[in-house]
Amino acid sequence: MSDTAAPKTASGVLANNLWHSNPIFMQVLGICSALAVTNLLVNTAIMSVGVIFVMGMTNLTVSLLKHAIPRKVRMIVQTLIIAFYVIIVDIVLRAYLPDIHEALGPYVGLIITNCIIMGRAEAFAQSNGPVLSFWDGVTSGLGYMGVLMTVALIRELFGFGSLFGFTVLPELWEPWIIMVMPPSAFFLLGIIIWIGKALMNREEAPA
Amino acid sequence: MNKQSAIYTIVFTFIVSFAFVSILAFANQATAERVEQNQRIARQRAFLNAIGIPWETEDEILDLFGQVEELEIEDTLVYRTEHDGHTIYAKEFSGQGLWGTIRGVLALREDLETTAGIEIIDHEETPGLGGRITEQEFKEQFRGRRFPGGEVRAVQEAAEEGEIAAITGATGTTNAMERILSAELDRFRELLEGSEV
Repeated sequence: MSDTAAPKTASGVLANNLWHSNPIFMQVLGICSALAVTNLLVNTAIMSVGVIFVMGMTNLTVSLLKHAIPRKVRMIVQTLIIAFYVIIVDIVLRAYLPDIHEALGPYVGLIITNCIIMGRAEAFAQSNGPVLSFWDGVTSGLGYMGVLMTVALIRELFGFGSLFGFTVLPELWEPWIIMVMPPSAFFLLGIIIWIGKALMNREEAPA
Repeated sequence: MNKQSAIYTIVFTFIVSFAFVSILAFANQATAERVEQNQRIARQRAFLNAIGIPWETEDEILDLFGQVEELEIEDTLVYRTEHDGHTIYAKEFSGQGLWGTIRGVLALREDLETTAGIEIIDHEETPGLGGRITEQEFKEQFRGRRFPGGEVRAVQEAAEEGEIAAITGATGTTNAMERILSAELDRFRELLEGSEV
């Protein structure tokens, strides 16, 4: 993945990660968790906060250590750093939010395999300063969160008739079972990528 | 110093791994007691819910559960208490659900045919479908319902003794619950009849 054209200013990084190269709908990375944890808004929010924390801290750490890391073991060290922060998140959830930990199940551990984090560490933190790298990690996480929360909003509303666990649709509402199941996230994600791309094409080619 | 040399690589990797793993070990140790406490509370809460004892705070759970009598019958832990004018026995159960193991607590009244209640501890059923076994609506059906001969039947609309309402769209889970709870009622009755308690 070439990232040479990436802007090096804080606002440029923000715009890039939230929109122009949004990790989910432009780069289509990290969609495993996007399918798995998006049927309830609360779980999605906690998962996203976990990803934002891990990505920001990983980028910061990788950037600080970048001159000391031998090239041969670069990827292994990055993975070690990611795993370290993910386990920290896991320990904190298990100790202080056991119910959420239960609900997220194995997906917290699977943050390690989220390609966005490795992608940002390799593409950005390896070649930029610590502060900007931290910001890049956080904003990439926000880009991830934005798409996931949109998917979760639609899935929880139609699948359970509720938002953040509060019933908002009337009793008569018949929940759409498909929305609760993982395949619905596939359809929704596909639609989001379609809309995102269409809007971006319009921006690039003004009539 | 040559940062690409084998020695540097090994030393660097060792130090980095050692540092990170040490912090993790420390964090794990520091929270171990709290995690254990959470698990204890979760388990005791499940027993209180199954028996039907209301609670409000975590401290209350520990206090109320402390008043429940613990018995060991043939290597199985059974809990006994008096509640609502009945002697109630409770024990953990587990069985194969649709996707994975369903674990929970079954509470039985002294006639050994009437359930005082059930609680699900964990399961891997489909969220929103089979996962609805954790909803109050499903669990409340077991509050003081008699199952003659220890047989649980799931029907469309439960009206008679021995019947519970099936979950729409979750036939696999419903069948599994029928099977698990019927077997568990038999096992529990035999266990209590065969002992002196």
